Amino acid sequence: MKYLMLIYGNQEKWASIPAEEWPEAIAKQDAFNKKYQATGELIGAYGLADDLKAKLVRRVDGLPAVTDGPYQETKEYIASFYLLDCESEERALQIAADMPWADVEPVEFWPIMHEAKPDL
Amino acid sequence: MTAGPVTGGRVDRGGVEDLLREFAPQVLAALVRRYGQFHLCEDACQEALLAAALQWPADGLPENPRGWLATVASRRLMDQVRSEQSRRNREDLIAVATPASELLGAPADAEPTDGDDSLALLFGCCHPELSSPSQVALTLRAIGGLSTAQIAAAFGVPEATMAQRISRAKQTIKAAGLDFSLPAGAERAERLSAVLHALYLIFNEGYTATDGDELTVPALSREAIRLTRWLHRLLPADGEVAGLLALMLLTDARRLARTRPDGSLVPLAEQDRARWDQVQIAEGTALISAALPGGEVGPYQLQAAIAAVHDEATTMADTDWPQILALYDLLELAAPNPFTTLNRAVALAMVRGPAAGLAVLATLAADKRMAQHHRLFAVRAHLRELAGDTGAAAADYLQAARRATSVPERRYLAVQAARLEAAQQGGVTGAAAARPGCAARD
Repeated sequence: MKYLMLIYGNQEKWASIPAEEWPEAIAKQDAFNKKYQATGELIGAYGLADDLKAKLVRRVDGLPAVTDGPYQETKEYIASFYLLDCESEERALQIAADMPWADVEPVEFWPIMHEAKPDL
Repeated sequence: MTAGPVTGGRVDRGGVEDLLREFAPQVLAALVRRYGQFHLCEDACQEALLAAALQWPADGLPENPRGWLATVASRRLMDQVRSEQSRRNREDLIAVATPASELLGAPADAEPTDGDDSLALLFGCCHPELSSPSQVALTLRAIGGLSTAQIAAAFGVPEATMAQRISRAKQTIKAAGLDFSLPAGAERAERLSAVLHALYLIFNEGYTATDGDELTVPALSREAIRLTRWLHRLLPADGEVAGLLALMLLTDARRLARTRPDGSLVPLAEQDRARWDQVQIAEGTALISAALPGGEVGPYQLQAAIAAVHDEATTMADTDWPQILALYDLLELAAPNPFTTLNRAVALAMVRGPAAGLAVLATLAADKRMAQHHRLFAVRAHLRELAGDTGAAAADYLQAARRATSVPERRYLAVQAARLEAAQQGGVTGAAAARPGCAARD
């Protein structure tokens, strides 16, 4: 079963972390990624660019129409996402709880829809 | 690199693929028996299969295809061992004490009966030390002869992810020093049940409702049947192996009728039974009929017997529900499980009315695993609809849909909820709404 984990944040929050703490923070996340890539359970870990770089795309008269945005209601936006493929939801939740900052901030956890037929 | 004579008999890619998949466990088993070192043998065997897949369609089949594979695999193994030796400068690897000529001399197919070796290999791949996904991946590769890319495609994960999983599994085998000998006595029965469970998982994964290119995205249900059929040939007297094969055949027989071309689900009650595969039903029924009188009746045999009763009914109304209920009673004793209880509740409702079924469901709500499961809501919705409680049934279907993670299943449940809501608003209750499995038709 595949699962999506989302981490939220904003510039203000990240700016509040002292510069000297960043290397350790990044090392922790790297270690987490390596650990679960090695078990074959972490399919990918992706950090997103600043929300200033985000765009909204529509198709107008068959052509792409790109505008700035999204201008969100929430103060925090997606900072990174992680794709898991695990034996069970229980196992995936265990991995989510092992995320480096899960003791401080919750990890958003979404089961992914699949095409498998229901069991017998 | 060519070994052995070539007959020049041309075969297509699919034919070669089938042949290779059949030889894969035999060649690997022979290598493991001869040299030990499963992790190295497995790599070497895969390389030999790959070489054959490239060469045979172009050059024709060698005269002795299995001998060809065994020889090429042995050479690859020697290459690997040598490079590993020089790299790590270790002397404890297999070929050290053995002259290379001896290793290359006898073809691995010198012994005609290698059933036990292949069987030992399967038991090793499904060792309890390994996680279920590892067992499944390793079985598909070592016994099924599928490439890592094919297994990854079948499970919808990147090849790198599957490669990691397989390599971890092989490391576990190496680190734990798992041997590939056949377990005996009580351990054998326990280990066989792990093997059957892994095969059952492969079947149940049942991806690819739209059958793609078999060579790139193999249909796992068919692969599971092929492997279980092979296991049944090796262990013809085992009732549970026969039971599992029968269960797969009897379930897979309904495959064409189970989904519409758009991928949506067709429940049993609405399936066009003319599209059921009668050849598979006949084979499955014969298997289970032969196995049942054989003594101790296990869970796979009971589930196969239930599937056989469903398959022999020409309509939903013709179904022998009392017999199905009796079989579920036995299954609940043999292998207690909340999902069995759920299915038994449906059978009970068909025999004694929806109220009896709903009473059983009430006991399941106390089970933490089940209380929030979409299947509990879906079954309760169905039984409440049968009881004429349309409003509650619609609400349950909606709850079930919100909790389902399978795309076709969620779509089906949402359609049921919408149908009941529409029926309720239209003031249709009682008889019309209570028709079991009444389809939504606009």
